[in-house]
Amino acid sequence: MTETGSLLLTFFIVCGLGVFTGGLPGNEKHAACVSIIGSVASLALLTASGIVLLSGRAFSMALWALPLFGKMMLGMDRMSALFLFITGMVFLPVSIFSAGYLKRYTGRYSLKSFAVFYFLLFASIALTLMAMDVLSFVIGWEAMSLLGYLLVNYEHEQADTTRSGMVMLLMSEAGTLAVILAFVILARTTGDMGFASLRAGAVHLGAVAGWFVFLLSFFGFGVKAGLVPVNSWLPMAHPVAPGNVSAILSGVILNLGIYGIVRINADILPIAGTGQGLVVLLIGTLSALVGILYATPEDDMKKMLAHSSIENMGIVTAGLGAGFVFLTSGHPVPAGLAFIAALYHMTNHSLYKALLFLGAGSVDMQVGSRHMQGLGGLIRRMPWTALFFLVGALSIAALPPFNGFVSEWLTLQTLLQCAVLPSKAVKITFALCGAGLALTAALAVTCFVKAFAMNFLGKERSEKAAKAAEAAPSMTISMGILAVACFLFGILPTYVIPAMDRVVQPYVHVSAVDQLVPPFFTVGRGNDKFDRTFVADFHKLGAQVGSRVLPGRGLVIMHRGGKRNPVIFAMSPAYTVAVLLLLLGGTFLIIRLLTRRRSLTHGPAWSGGLGRLPPEMTYSATGFSNPVRVIFRGIFRPVTVRDARETVANHFRSAIRKDQLEIHMIDRLFGKPIVHYGRRLAERLGRMHSGRVNAYAAYVLAALLAVLLIQGLA
Amino acid sequence: MLKWVRKGLRAGIKTTGYPHTRESAPGISPGRPAAMLCDGPQEAGAVAGRCPTGALSNQGNMIRVDHRRCVHCGRCRQDHEHAMAWEGGYEWAGGRKAPGEMAAAFSRSLHIRILDAGACGACLSEIKQISSPYYNIHRLGFFITPTPRTADVLLVAGPLTDPMRLPLERCYAAMPDPKRVVAVGACAVSGGIFGPSFAAAAGISQCVPVDIEIPGCPPPPLALLHALLMVAGKTKQT
Repeated sequence: MTETGSLLLTFFIVCGLGVFTGGLPGNEKHAACVSIIGSVASLALLTASGIVLLSGRAFSMALWALPLFGKMMLGMDRMSALFLFITGMVFLPVSIFSAGYLKRYTGRYSLKSFAVFYFLLFASIALTLMAMDVLSFVIGWEAMSLLGYLLVNYEHEQADTTRSGMVMLLMSEAGTLAVILAFVILARTTGDMGFASLRAGAVHLGAVAGWFVFLLSFFGFGVKAGLVPVNSWLPMAHPVAPGNVSAILSGVILNLGIYGIVRINADILPIAGTGQGLVVLLIGTLSALVGILYATPEDDMKKMLAHSSIENMGIVTAGLGAGFVFLTSGHPVPAGLAFIAALYHMTNHSLYKALLFLGAGSVDMQVGSRHMQGLGGLIRRMPWTALFFLVGALSIAALPPFNGFVSEWLTLQTLLQCAVLPSKAVKITFALCGAGLALTAALAVTCFVKAFAMNFLGKERSEKAAKAAEAAPSMTISMGILAVACFLFGILPTYVIPAMDRVVQPYVHVSAVDQLVPPFFTVGRGNDKFDRTFVADFHKLGAQVGSRVLPGRGLVIMHRGGKRNPVIFAMSPAYTVAVLLLLLGGTFLIIRLLTRRRSLTHGPAWSGGLGRLPPEMTYSATGFSNPVRVIFRGIFRPVTVRDARETVANHFRSAIRKDQLEIHMIDRLFGKPIVHYGRRLAERLGRMHSGRVNAYAAYVLAALLAVLLIQGLA
Repeated sequence: MLKWVRKGLRAGIKTTGYPHTRESAPGISPGRPAAMLCDGPQEAGAVAGRCPTGALSNQGNMIRVDHRRCVHCGRCRQDHEHAMAWEGGYEWAGGRKAPGEMAAAFSRSLHIRILDAGACGACLSEIKQISSPYYNIHRLGFFITPTPRTADVLLVAGPLTDPMRLPLERCYAAMPDPKRVVAVGACAVSGGIFGPSFAAAAGISQCVPVDIEIPGCPPPPLALLHALLMVAGKTKQT
């Protein structure tokens, strides 16, 4: 057995140990157990997947041969390894975080069941990602869905938790059914259920069957990824889930949806037509827009983060869609770039969203409220949490020098590559999607300026916020780990992109990395892979000097074009951060020099001359996001449920109260009709219930005849 | 919209040229009483006694006018036999500091914070006029600002009612140095007909140091402009 194999075995054994200790009696030590055992398991998984990711030695292991389903296979290629690596990267800090966070449940809920579910979920996620045949995949997937539901439903004593959990379970099962159906269609051409033989057999699948597989799998997996129009469960599940579970839900489980889409639509049955790629691109863009539109005015912090997860998954999907379109139109290099951008964004999203959810979780735990309306001023009470939340907010708002910037910039640049595509209509679609994503990025800035400012700056808007204390060290340390990761992924993308490139190489069949991160610091003058004058130009700039200092490729991301247009786009986040620091330091020095002679007096903030500034009078979260609400009123379509006016005389109003209700656009457009027609259908069918016994016998006979007829015809 | 443009072009420039050209009409202000010599001390006493705010006083048969207290009620000119003569004009502002002291920091532009310290509304309505197209303070480099943080001049109207004492203090404290305080109208200067009383002080100088006083009830917009020009050191006299 290879070292990857033994590491994975260690991982599963440690998970089993976690389940075992979780089952032990007593309730005191479980938080520490989850933390320590979870960290060890994550480290094992990180090392195992890291080895595969770097060395490229794919790992595979046959489990058992079952009579009807063929062999059960576990394996890890680079794609799986990337997803497993991200899983480990999220689970490690979340496990550490749990040590402090789970204390809030001591005595109220059973920590025992939490520990058991947690480790089973971890193992089932790893199983899903390592499954190389349909049966193990479905087992892992189903276990993951159910355990996810159980963990989301952890605070089961609250009524809305149960309802949200049911919606989550329902949608996730519907998605699973669609996915299984897609696998069934795929498996028609082969007897075996292994992914390898499905891939071999998929060549014989017709165009119509291909569309069916695509639609079923895309929307089936889309449920997990939270894509429009199957996203309704996400904003419901997040606010009720415990903080650490939310981090896993957004940082890991959503990725599994993307994994499924990539696995089927890029690997097993590569997308054949531009149409399918465009569907992916459009759905992605739409998800991004809808997600951020609903995130911006949201008051509940976790709900806001959930909507923003929809947005980010939309950006990832849009990148994948662009990749599919490039690939089917015969442009593998931009396709590679698009896939790299998408996977990079997904990695980043896992990091910063886990960070933000952990931050929201600590605020929720320390203050007891997630509603921004009642928070504020927490930077003075919880400085570390505030700092790390700020890093997360900057990352997700795609501001340099953090990681969100790099991947969103790459995604947008890739969409701009549509100039190479032949069809005008496709070009226009790309341009529109690019504009949509740009709008998304702008709204994301608004959304997270609000999130940080309303939680941590200004005055405390409630008693509870004024009395909050900093979170436990285990919680701040875990957030710190993620914040550092966000920073590193933001300034050193040139080391991440080659790894991503090797992941997508099997699907696009070329390496995009030489086009994207040219090895200036290592390439000699005589390398025939590069244009001679091109290399010479960079040597003139002193590129070769850096080879002694830097171990790897350069620090510049640069997409190269043809002779006429040698550089299409270029950026260096590493140099950006250096310049940013220089500018900041320089500005600071200049200001110090200029104001050296000035005296400084400190006075109270001007509050319009009031004796006391009540927190209700400061800028509120609702006020900050109200322009967005007003501008996009046509989309939000609030329904006024109560409009009451108290008047003393005819023209003298003493009080106005207006209650408005917003139904999510997707629920309004898709959910409502489905529920409506579903009910009508159920009513019709319900009439059959109260019939006579003879009628029932007739139904049975008719059904039997129908089955026989179909069988006979086939 | 075209209609507006056409109308504007037809109307031409209506803005006053003050202080570069002489302005003769001081708005709707009736002017103010001028010092007067009476026939005898008794007559003078009778005339001075008609004043409700004690602005008039007599030394022998000479009636003096303390313009800081005058509210332009007109009682002193109602009696036809001994009516006091009133004078026109509007350059009424007077400084408590020497003009040289005023000019240094404010010669370029002024940012003005307006504070209502319990005014009846008359002064405020005149203050509102100075940013209207006719008087247009912006041409002189004067701007009204909503926050004391960026203000150079604090323009206060009203006798300073008790609830407004703290806000006035805070507003003054919130202004960066160097700063000037201008008291607008008889109330802010001396308490007017309201102060000193159980609810109001005798002018804002009881709370913050006043640099320039503009008497009048209310002072016309040109008097306000004159005072602001004084702050900026752009007036010819005094």
